Amino acid sequence: MGAPRKLAAGLLKAVLRLVPEESRQWATAMLHELDFVDGDWAALFWALGSVTAILRHAASVFRMNLKRPAKEAGMNNTGRKALGITLGALSALFVAGCAFPLLRLISLMFPELGYGHASWPYWLTVIMIPEAIFAVATVLLWRKRGPVAAGILATALIMGLHVAVHAAMH
Amino acid sequence: MKLRMSPQTILTLDAFLERPEEWKYGYDLSRTTGLKSGTMYPILMRLAERKLLETQWEIADPGKPPRHMYRFTPEGLRFARANAPEQATGGLGQVALGLAEL
Repeated sequence: MGAPRKLAAGLLKAVLRLVPEESRQWATAMLHELDFVDGDWAALFWALGSVTAILRHAASVFRMNLKRPAKEAGMNNTGRKALGITLGALSALFVAGCAFPLLRLISLMFPELGYGHASWPYWLTVIMIPEAIFAVATVLLWRKRGPVAAGILATALIMGLHVAVHAAMH
Repeated sequence: MKLRMSPQTILTLDAFLERPEEWKYGYDLSRTTGLKSGTMYPILMRLAERKLLETQWEIADPGKPPRHMYRFTPEGLRFARANAPEQATGGLGQVALGLAEL
């Protein structure tokens, strides 16, 4: 098994662990189908397309779940806010988690760049891009989905603080 | 039932119409239609959510992962035929490809 195919399988397995229950059947289907794809690079492209499809599906499930609690009379306002914050935090963690497979992919495709903790690809992929996504998502969601935006913002701040402390100590 | 009939959706429906009674695999569909996984799977998901496709796990041989299979439900077959009156093999797909190339 070549490196691209290994990476493809790793990517799909990582996504499979992260996606909600509703998307898991499709993620498993795509992962199993990977064994039948001819060629290592074709397998990698298959996995990348599959990951996109799964994430889109998971996002639609996420949106549906977000709307559902508002319609349920049984859940009070505090419960809805807590759920929104949790969903925001989880989605932010998911985005941050995606940075590592991306970094791995970059390191595989461009080994000359280097990807140690002090290198710019590392900082760009693991910190700058996720933090930029969090900032944009927070601004976009602030009015309509305040608790979700708060969850994303809180996670972004904690992660930023973690990076600052880490940088100061090392 | 509303379903956006993009050229890619038409291609997928056409692939299922060739032998509607047969179960089909994702990768085989991808090769038949020429669609990438990132395009084809969302279409399959939408069709399955609208109950136009039924899905099933294949009973696999030992050492092989079970594969997910798809085929039309009776409603899906009616829907596809209603949207593809000519139904000739490849006919709709060629139209769709022509549309996609425009």
